[in-house]
Amino acid sequence: MIEKTGVPTKEDIEEITPPKEIREKQAVAVIECYKEIPCNPCYTACKFGAIKEFEDINDRPEIIYEKCVACGQCVIKCPGLAIFIIDETYSETEATVQIPYEYLPLPKEGDYVTALDRAGRPVCRAKVVKVRKGKHPNMTSTVTMAVPKEHSMTVRSLNLEDYFADNTIICRCEGITLGEIRQLISEGYTTIDEIKRISRAGMGPCQGRTCRHLIMQEIRNATGQNMEDMLMPTFRQPTKPVKLGLFVGGEGDD
Amino acid sequence: MITTEIAIIGGGPAGLSAAISAASLGAKVAILERDGRLGGQLIKQTHKFFGSEKQYASTRGFDIAKILEEEMEKYKDKIDIYTNATVLGLYEDGVLTIEHNKKYMKMKPEKIIVATGASEKFLSFPNNDLPGIYGAGAVQTLMNEYGVKPGNNVLMVGAGNIGLIVSYQLMQAGVRVKAIIDAAPQIGGYLVHASKVRRAGVPILVSHTIKRAHGKESVEGATIWQLDERWQPIEGTEKYLDVDVICISVGLSPLTEFLWQAGCEMKYIPELGGHVAIRDENLETSVNGIFIAGDVAGVEEASSAMVEGRLAGICAANSLGYGDDRFEELRRDYTEQLKSLRSGPVGAKIVSGLSKVTVKKQFA
Repeated sequence: MIEKTGVPTKEDIEEITPPKEIREKQAVAVIECYKEIPCNPCYTACKFGAIKEFEDINDRPEIIYEKCVACGQCVIKCPGLAIFIIDETYSETEATVQIPYEYLPLPKEGDYVTALDRAGRPVCRAKVVKVRKGKHPNMTSTVTMAVPKEHSMTVRSLNLEDYFADNTIICRCEGITLGEIRQLISEGYTTIDEIKRISRAGMGPCQGRTCRHLIMQEIRNATGQNMEDMLMPTFRQPTKPVKLGLFVGGEGDD
Repeated sequence: MITTEIAIIGGGPAGLSAAISAASLGAKVAILERDGRLGGQLIKQTHKFFGSEKQYASTRGFDIAKILEEEMEKYKDKIDIYTNATVLGLYEDGVLTIEHNKKYMKMKPEKIIVATGASEKFLSFPNNDLPGIYGAGAVQTLMNEYGVKPGNNVLMVGAGNIGLIVSYQLMQAGVRVKAIIDAAPQIGGYLVHASKVRRAGVPILVSHTIKRAHGKESVEGATIWQLDERWQPIEGTEKYLDVDVICISVGLSPLTEFLWQAGCEMKYIPELGGHVAIRDENLETSVNGIFIAGDVAGVEEASSAMVEGRLAGICAANSLGYGDDRFEELRRDYTEQLKSLRSGPVGAKIVSGLSKVTVKKQFA
C-alpha cells in the first residue's frame, strides 16, 4: 500500500517498531525506510555502530538497539527525513517523539503544536519540549514533542495550527495569547475573574472590552458552560486607567 | 577559432565533475554553459542528496554546486569557463559553434564531453497553455532561484522523485499542495519522499490523471479523473480541484541534439527517458572523441550523473595521453560507484536500459 499512498501499513510499521523491552528502557531511533534505495548517510553518521554495516548501498538500515544512544545524528543526516527518535521513558504518561523539521517558522520550546500521524491527520495537541536548530542554516532542524505514551509510534509530523492559535492575541492591552488563556482554563481557572487575576487579561486600558467576550467563548468551548449563566467579573471604577494626578486635589474643572 | 583539448558542453553536475576529473589528470578543459552561472539544476535543489559520501550524500544540491565550484578553483589554470555560452551546433569536423555573450564564437576541441542534461516532458490536456501551468523545473527556478511563489494552491501532476521533492519545496515556501496525482498505479519516486509529503497532509492519488485545466486568463481550477488498470479514464470519477497552479512533473528526456548532429549511433530506450547514444564502458559514443555523461546518457539521479562526469572526464583525458599512472585505479573506483548506485531495485530499470546501449569494446 505504501507504494500507492506513501503511508506505510500496520505490518510495515510493526516491522520497524522497537521491541517493548527496549522502548521501556531507553530512547531509540526508529528508521522508517521501507524500500531499498541507494543511500547510506545514516550508517556513516552513526558513531556508535548502532546501524548495521551496509553490505550494499541499497541495503535497508538495520538498527542495533542496544548500541543506540538516541543522539539524533542519523535524524539530521537522513536525506529522506525518515528517521525519528522516540523516548517512552520520558514520564509516567508521556513519551517524546523527535522529528526532522525543515519548515519555517520553527516552533519554540514550550509551544503547543498539533501532532500529526503518517497521513497528516491530527492525533493530539503536543508540547514542544526541545528544538534543535541546525548549526549551519542548511542543516535539518529537529523538533521534539511530548505526546501521550500510546502515540509514540503514531505521531510523525506536526503542524502549527495550534501554534498559530496559541499565539493569537486575545488581550491586546496586556499581550495575553489564546494559548495562555487555554492553558489557564486547562489548569482549572474557569471563570473570567480567575483568569483576569492570574494573567491580567482585561486589566489594561480597554478594561476587557476586546478580550472579555473572547475569553468567555474559550471557557464555553472548554467547559461547556452556558454563556448566559457565566459568572461575570467584578466591574470596578475607574472604567479606564487614569493618572493618579487626576485625583490629586479632588474635584475641579481645570 | 579557439582550440582546447576537451570541450564540455553543459556546466551542470555531470559537466563540472567531468571538468574537475579531466583537469586533475592534466588536460586543458573548456566548459560551455548556456546559463549565466554554473551548477545546472543543482542550484535549485534544496533537498539533501541520497547516495554515499563520495557523491556528497546528505548535502543539499546547491551546496554541492558550491563544493564543485570550489574544487574547480584548484585547477583554474586548466579550466576555462564560458558562461552565457550556448552551443549552436556540433559539426562533422568536430567544430562547435557558440553564441557567447551575444557574440559568435567557434571552438575546435580534440575531445568533446556532451553533458547537456535533459528537458522536461509535457502533457496534452485541454487548456494546457493557460498561464499558471508550469514544468516542475520552472517552479523550482521561480521559488528557489528568484524567491517568487508561483501561486497559492497547486496540483502536482507526477509522483516521481521530482514531483515529490518539488511538492515538498512548495510547502516549505508556504504554498498549499492540494494533491499529487500520478497516472501510474504506484508512486514512482522514493517512498521516503512520498511519506514526507504525505505526513504533512498532502494526498497522493495514483491511477489519476488531469482531464482539463479551467480558467480564462490563468488557471482557476483543474479536473482530475481516475484511470483503470489499462490506463483508460473512468467516466464519472471526475473531481474538481480549486487551484491556481498546475505543476507538470512527468519525466525527463535526454537533450541529445548535438549527438544526432555529430552522427552518433542512437537508440530509443524508454527506461533511460528516450533516445540515447550507444556508448562503451568509458562513456565514449560511436563517434570517436565524443563522450557523454549525466542525464543526456540516460535520465538518472544527480549522484550518478556526477560519477559519470568523473568517469567521462578521466577517459577523455586519458585518450589524450594524460594520467596513465592513475587512470585504471580511478576508472575502477568510478565504475564501482556507478555499479553500487544502480545495484538496488530502483537501479534495476536503469541497468536494464543501459545493457541495451552499452557495448563492451572500444569503437574502432
